[in-house]
Parts: sequence; structure tokens; C-alpha cells
Amino acid sequence: MSMMTEPVEAQQIMLAAMAGAMVVLFGAVYAFLFAWSKLHKRPVIMLAAYLSYLCLAAATVALAFALHLSGFWLIVVFVMLVGYLLAPHAIWHLCEGTHEPSTPHGTDEITSQPIPLEIKQ
Amino acid sequence: MAHAVDTTFPDTIPRGKLNTRDLNAGQRLAVKYFSVAMLLFIAQILFGLLAGLQYLWPDFLYNKLDFNVNRMVHINAMIIWMLYGFIGSIYWLVEDEAGTELVGAKLGNLAFWVLTAAVTVVVAVFLLVQTGPGEHQSIWLINEGREYIEAPRWADFGIVAVVLVFFYNTAATFMKGRWSGISGVLVLDLIALAGLYLAGMFYSSNISMDQHWWWWVIHLWVEATWEVLVGCIMAWGLIKTLGARRKIVTTWLYIEVALMFGSGILGLGHHYFWIGTPEYWLSIGGFFSALEPIPLVAMVVHAVYDSGVHRFKNSNHPALAWLIAHAFGNFFGAGVWGFMHTLPQINLYTHGTQWTASHGHLAFFGAYATINIAMFYIAIQKWRGGVFMGSGIPHAWRWKWALALLNIGVLGMTMALLISGYEQSFVERALHGSTWAGYFEAQRSDWFVQGMVWRQIFGYVTAAGLVLLVWDLITIGKGETRPAEEPTATTVINSNETLQPSSA
Ligand code: HEM
Ligand code: HEM
Ligand SMILES: [Fe+2]
Repeated sequence: MSMMTEPVEAQQIMLAAMAGAMVVLFGAVYAFLFAWSKLHKRPVIMLAAYLSYLCLAAATVALAFALHLSGFWLIVVFVMLVGYLLAPHAIWHLCEGTHEPSTPHGTDEITSQPIPLEIKQ
Repeated sequence: MAHAVDTTFPDTIPRGKLNTRDLNAGQRLAVKYFSVAMLLFIAQILFGLLAGLQYLWPDFLYNKLDFNVNRMVHINAMIIWMLYGFIGSIYWLVEDEAGTELVGAKLGNLAFWVLTAAVTVVVAVFLLVQTGPGEHQSIWLINEGREYIEAPRWADFGIVAVVLVFFYNTAATFMKGRWSGISGVLVLDLIALAGLYLAGMFYSSNISMDQHWWWWVIHLWVEATWEVLVGCIMAWGLIKTLGARRKIVTTWLYIEVALMFGSGILGLGHHYFWIGTPEYWLSIGGFFSALEPIPLVAMVVHAVYDSGVHRFKNSNHPALAWLIAHAFGNFFGAGVWGFMHTLPQINLYTHGTQWTASHGHLAFFGAYATINIAMFYIAIQKWRGGVFMGSGIPHAWRWKWALALLNIGVLGMTMALLISGYEQSFVERALHGSTWAGYFEAQRSDWFVQGMVWRQIFGYVTAAGLVLLVWDLITIGKGETRPAEEPTATTVINSNETLQPSSA
């Protein structure tokens, strides 16, 4: 298949799979530290967050090498890198948008009726 | 300050024993579904243990209860118990969420018994008619031959009818009562979930076509519609167990749906690499499924935000523990283990090996067994009259050890299967180029066999955890007289300034 170029060398299977696991794991660590740093206003932790992102990027590069990715597959790698980088920012933004403390209770619902899960006197 | 008085736990109800009378109609139906779900969960594990033993002793029960039968019952029981759990969960929350009584409770009850009778007959036939030719008649009466959803076609029609009743019950109840963000997403998702099942009834003698449609059910269930369904249950569960605010939870649900469907639907392509479907699926499947873990990662941000901004007081410790297990299990099982083998360059080697089984076990348990168990705990709390289930309940070791053993057991099996799977990919695929001889060479290799032994050992750990879980669900809250605590969330800014109590 032209899209796939040469198959992975046997020895590389484990390396590739582990690199793949590391991509997602560092993605979670990055997301965690990113949110933690914002929440507690600790810029130092943000540094650690971006360090995890760098590890993620390194794991992605390792994956690309192990699998001899080229052409279209490098686009996949690129989109992944951008996606992992921006998703936590986007979600944080949305969290802040939806958590406005000034929102009065009772208007939470899309219907006009009050909901029993909310205020009951 | 508006203080919450949760109507779920009124003071007049006698506590400490089972109080079916005081459950609402939906919940009475739910506990039936939950009970059968637990029975089928037990069956799943028993047949899993038998199938696992047959890897170690190939002669074990040979010609009496063959591997293919044990495996089939193992995974079909899993799908059915999880569906029972989901249906039960929705019946459990529907009246509460709609603010009105269940519509068509009698019909729903009838449907429950019809479904349960059908499941019993299907399993009995699986066990009684184990061998024979596969022909049109056997598709109708014995076995449809599609992994995970092997029920014969007569049962399919029964299932469709029952699902229609269930759908009528829920949609009509929301229509009579009120709609919310959660119920809107839920009902749309149920339409998709039930509609997809029809794709699994499509028959073609062309194996590529057959597999093509079959994956619509399996993949679009577990990686799209089931994820959204548990998202709805989770949203409701967070409001119930933590007192999380509805608006936040609902907004999050919309985002989750968009992200999950965005990557999950075309991620379907990762099953179309080698089954005779066109080559463009290599790119589509690789691209979209590579993005599938991103929503799972993004959820971490939301979890941190919420746990930091709100001080939660939780009223049901076992349920919360299982909800947390769900969050981790979903992330690792689907996200990490899924991505490991989703690019075609790797999948070429791992496809259909024990590597796949490693992912299958962790993902199904981590994402779906966990959240169902959480719902069982939410249900038993109320069924016992709304008893206290916070810290320091008597015999708390039972639920804690059940949680620990089940999770350690499944994780252990996952690691053992990963080792076997790696060895298999290496020997069978890489060294011997997927030949028949290579297959046997791999099955005999030391690492593979060791992995199978450890899978069995951790299988027993899992089974021990299940025994404890059953015991705990039967006994927890018995004789407890303290009422349940109210779940509350307090909004805090910068962890010290209390802004506003959010009444749950
Ligand atoms: C909770 C969600 C998920 C569950 C329950 C689940 C479960 C499973 C199961 C049981 C199989 C084996 C199917 C068979 O019998 O052949 C499978 C296959 C597969 N899964 Fe998942 N999965 C989930 C999410 C994911 C995600 C998010 C990805 C990718 C990022 C993924 C990637 C794959 C791939 C590539 C295969 C095919 C393996 C092969 O070629 O043999 N899964 N999944
Ligand atoms: C006592 C514990 C268990 C044992 C010994 C066990 C054993 C097995 C065995 C032997 C197979 C057949 C694998 C093959 O065809 O080579 C299997 C398949 C499967 N089991 Fe289990 N199992 C156990 C628990 C579970 C649990 C708790 C879950 C999920 C909730 C689960 C989900 C699955 C799935 C999804 C498959 C199909 C995987 C695939 O084809 O890739 N099992 N199991
Ligand atoms: Fe899939």
C-alpha cells in the first residue's frame, strides 16, 4: 500500500507501541499540570506542563521514526501534536466560560421549570 | 443560604432493609435489570475462567464445552449485562430527570420479562446445540455468528421490540415531564444506539461486507454511542453523588459528544484495514482514530477544574470510587491501550492477537463495567431506604477489597495479555509472516504460555473481587439507620475564598 511505505522492522514493534502509549500518557500529564497551574495560579507548574508536552512531542517523533512515517502520515502526526497542545487550552476556556459564579441558580436548565435536583426549600 | 433537601431520601422511609415499595416505578424496574445484570456478570466471569483454562489445558472439557462456546458465552454475556446495566440506569434516573412518573410502566415490566426469557433461551441453545452446520436456519434459530452479538435472528427481533418499548418508556416520560440537556442528549443517543443494532442483523455471504456492517455495531457502540450514554449517566451521577451543578455538567456533556463523535465515527476505519475494504480506510482510520484519545485527555482538564473550584461532599463513597475507576479505566483502556495499536503500521502486526484481547479487557472493564457498578451502588443506597454510605460504614473493607481485587485482577490480566500479545505479534507475524506454522510456533513459545498462565492467575483475582462485590451489594447498608448525607458542592475561588454555596 502506497500510503504505508515499508512495514515496521520486527524489533521496532515494541518501541513503536510504547512510544504510542507515552504520547497519550504525557498528554494526560500535560493536561493535568496545565489545569493545576491555572487553577492555583502557579506559573512554575506551567513550566512542568510544557515540559510534559515536550516529552509528548518527543514520544511522537520516536513513534514517527519507529514506524518510518512519511507523507500523509506526517500530517497525522502534526495534527496530533496540535490537537494535544490546544485541547487543554480550549477546554480550560470552556470551563471558565461555563462556571461564571454570577450565574443565578434556577436558570441552569434549558427549560423554564425548576428542577428538583436544584434548590428545594 | 438555600439549603438542599434532596427529595430522594425522605425521612419517613424505614432504613436499613430493602424497600421496593418506596422506589418509584422506573427504579423498581431498574433494580430488576440490575439484578439480572449481576447474574450475567457472574456468568461472564465463569465462562471466561473456563476459556482461559482451555488455553492452558487444551483438552479440558474438549467436546463437552468447547473453547468457542465458552468464549462466545463470555463475551455475549458481557454485552448483555452491560446493556441491562445501561437500561437499568436510565430507568433509574428517568423519573427524577423528567420530574414525572414513568409512562408505560406495565409495558416496561412485560418487556423486561420477555427480554430475560429470551436471553435465557438463547444461552440455553448456545450450550445445548454447540456444533452443526451453519446455514440460514441456524442463523434464525441458533447463532447469527457475529462476535459479541451472536444471538439468533428470532431473538434479534425480540430485542428490537423490547428496545422500542424501553425507548417509548423513556421518551414519553420526558415528553410528559420536562426535557433537560442530559435527557435530550440521552434520547438522541438511544436512537442511534438502537438503530445501529439493525446493522448487525444484515446478512451477506460476502465476509468483507458482513464484517463491514458488524463493526458498525461494535465500534460505533463502544467508541461513540456507549461513550455518550455513560457520559449522560456520569453527568447525572455527578449531580447526584457530588452535587455538581447542572449547567456545568450539561455544557461539558455537549462538548464531549462533539469531540467523541468527531473522532469516533470515522475512527471506525481502524477496523477496515485488513478485511477487504478499500485502501482509503487505512488513511481515514489511522487519522481519525489517532485523534480519539484527545477527548479523553481533555477530560482531565475538566476534572481538575471541577475538583479545584468546587468542594464536593459526597454521599456515596463506593459509587464515587467506582466513578473514579471509570475515569481512569476509560482513559487507559480506550485511550492508551487503544492508541497503542491503532495505526495501521502497528496494527499490521497486532491485529487479532492477544494484544487486541489486552485492550478489549481493559477498555470494556475500565470504561463500562466500572460505571455500571457505580450505578448498582447508587441504586442499593436508595433501595435500602436512603442509608448513610459515607466514610466509616461497617464492613467497608468489603467494597474496598472488591474494588481493589477487581481492578488489580483486570490490570494483571491486561499486562499478561500484553506480554503474550507482543510475543505473538513478534513470532507469528514479524518472524513467520502470518503463516499457519508461525501461529503454532507463537502459541507454543515460552513468553506466550507464561502470559496465559498469569492471565489465569489474575483471572482468579478478578473472580475473587467479583465474589466480594456480590456479597457487598447484598449486605451493604443492611441494618444501617443513619440517613444518607446530602451531596453538596461549594464553589471556591483560589482554594480559599468561598464564593457561593451551590445547593445540590
Ligand atoms: C471504551 C472504549 C473501547 C472499547 C470498549 C474497546 C474495545 C475493543 C475490543 C473488544 C476490540 C476487539 C474486537 C475484536 O473482537 O476483534 C477492540 C479492537 C480495537 N480497538 Fe478498541 N475499544 C475502545 C476504544 C478504542 C479506542 C479509543 C481506540 C483507538 C484509539 C481503539 C482501537 C482499537 C483497534 C485499532 C482495534 C482493532 C484491533 C485489531 O486489529 O485486532 N479502541 N476494541
Ligand atoms: C476471570 C476473568 C476473565 C478471564 C479468565 C477471561 C478470559 C478470556 C478469554 C480466554 C477470552 C478469549 C480470548 C481469545 O479469543 O483468545 C476472553 C475474551 C474477552 N474477554 Fe475476558 N476474561 C475475564 C474477564 C473479563 C472481563 C472482566 C471483561 C470485561 C469486562 C472481559 C472482556 C473480554 C472481551 C471483550 C473479550 C474479547 C477480546 C478479543 O477478542 O479481543 N473479560 N476473555
Ligand atoms: Fe474501534
